[in-house]
Amino acid sequence: MSARAAERWRARGLAGFAGLMLAFLMLPVVVVVLASFTTTSYLTIPPKGLTLRWYGQVFADAEYIDALWFSLVLAIVVTVVSIVLGTMAAYALARRQVPAAPAVSGLLMSPLAFPGVVIGVALLQYYTLTGLRGSFAGLLLAHLVITLPYTVRTILASMAGADPEIEAAARVLGANPWVAFWKATLPVIRPGMMAGGLFAFITSFDNVPVTIFILGTRHTTLPVKIFTAIEYGVDPSIAALSTLLIAGTAVFLVAAERWVGFHRFA
Amino acid sequence: MTAGLRKRLDRNGLGLLSPPLLLLLVIFLAPLLAMLPTSFQPYIPGKGIGEGFTLEHYAKALTDSYYLEIIGRTLALGVIVTLTCLVLGYPLAFFLARTESRWRPWLMLLVIFPLLLNLVVRTFGWIALLANRGLVNDTLKALGLIETPIKLLFNFGGLLIALSHIFLPFMVLVLVGVIRNLPRDVEDAARTLGAGWAATFFRVTLPLSLPGILAGSILVFVLTVSALVTPRLLGGPTYKVMSTLIYDQFLQLLNWPAGAALSFILTAIAVGLISLSSGMARRMGAGT
Repeated sequence: MSARAAERWRARGLAGFAGLMLAFLMLPVVVVVLASFTTTSYLTIPPKGLTLRWYGQVFADAEYIDALWFSLVLAIVVTVVSIVLGTMAAYALARRQVPAAPAVSGLLMSPLAFPGVVIGVALLQYYTLTGLRGSFAGLLLAHLVITLPYTVRTILASMAGADPEIEAAARVLGANPWVAFWKATLPVIRPGMMAGGLFAFITSFDNVPVTIFILGTRHTTLPVKIFTAIEYGVDPSIAALSTLLIAGTAVFLVAAERWVGFHRFA
Repeated sequence: MTAGLRKRLDRNGLGLLSPPLLLLLVIFLAPLLAMLPTSFQPYIPGKGIGEGFTLEHYAKALTDSYYLEIIGRTLALGVIVTLTCLVLGYPLAFFLARTESRWRPWLMLLVIFPLLLNLVVRTFGWIALLANRGLVNDTLKALGLIETPIKLLFNFGGLLIALSHIFLPFMVLVLVGVIRNLPRDVEDAARTLGAGWAATFFRVTLPLSLPGILAGSILVFVLTVSALVTPRLLGGPTYKVMSTLIYDQFLQLLNWPAGAALSFILTAIAVGLISLSSGMARRMGAGT
């Protein structure tokens, strides 16, 4: 075998292995979608028969709908506030004099290093003592802590591309600090803000380890609701709900890719 | 306000930083610090947290065979999941970093998609795959390879497969970033000087990607030992790892002191490894 032929076979082998791995990554997704259409009352793949009955059951379940709305509202509020706080922190770190700047940015990133369950149980005790347990405010603050590292990091990265001289020029020409920031810096860091916001949204919408310890009794988030449902026992309605989430995530990803070129930020 | 004072405030970043920093102090550092004394207080069954100071929860976690088995299992899971992700992820990352296919962005999205998908949903997929009447056992039976289903839930094997799947994208994304930035001309030079592809790979490409391998491995290890959702759903209430043990101590047994002590041990492992590795990365000169 010539050297060139060997090279070609190696390239094919590598591409084949990469294809296998991508298939492995998508395997549970495909399985969940297939299982949601079965006519049996237990999970089976391939599905026996074809029915939309489980989807009907999900939409008829007021608890699931309530959990979905609760999760969405929480994630949207978290995303907006996290972008604002993240921009303040990133702007200060990039443009202002900050004493002990490495320690400050280390503190801002530190929730990433701590296991979620540890943050969760610490907040369980703390919220029980301070009376925040079960409140929306407590949940919001906790989600801000775990999303802030993402917004700070992506916005800080995009600050590197924003020339401080432009904002300074705007100030010299008489713009007040707010207008100067809004017109000169914000347009440049907007992709970073959007990417950070996407991460914050997903982190909040997806979270179980922190949320499960501080939830109240009135409302629950969607992932915690599914988590407890699985603990009680699985049936195809969980597959139907999961398929809806898979479809939602796929739409979200394609939209985000078109919007900000998501794969560059991950 | 005088003009001079205003100018100084303008240049100082603490005003802008105070809301985010206050949030972290009050909702992150204070709760962790408040849990520290709890971990040194005695636990009275049926009553909860007692008065006094004791080291028994730490001592028990580090000597009791039941606890040691769970800590050992958690660490073993972390090491083996990390190695699995490395072995499976490196070739995929190499392909994605080097391919000139116009589908490349879409192939990258296939790696990112599972990351964005709800973790509970991904874990549910593995329940459907690994159950006694799940797809894996059904397929093996149809192929005539097994007679009775192999047990894949509530044990090490099932957790290993599912956690490797869940953390593989992290490893791949870190490695793709590093491999894309490797200087190609060094490889070309090795080939020109007569090295075969294997020698080139093992003596040039692989050593140059070590910073990425280190960063990806630390990330996957820490995520694996910290994971709660997947071990809880695939391990059930009986097959425990550290995080599910903490979960039970707080929510089921209401033994908060023991749970707090275990939390600090888990934190020491995670945070200790991360700071160790960032020190190593600085010495290796990699700015990740």
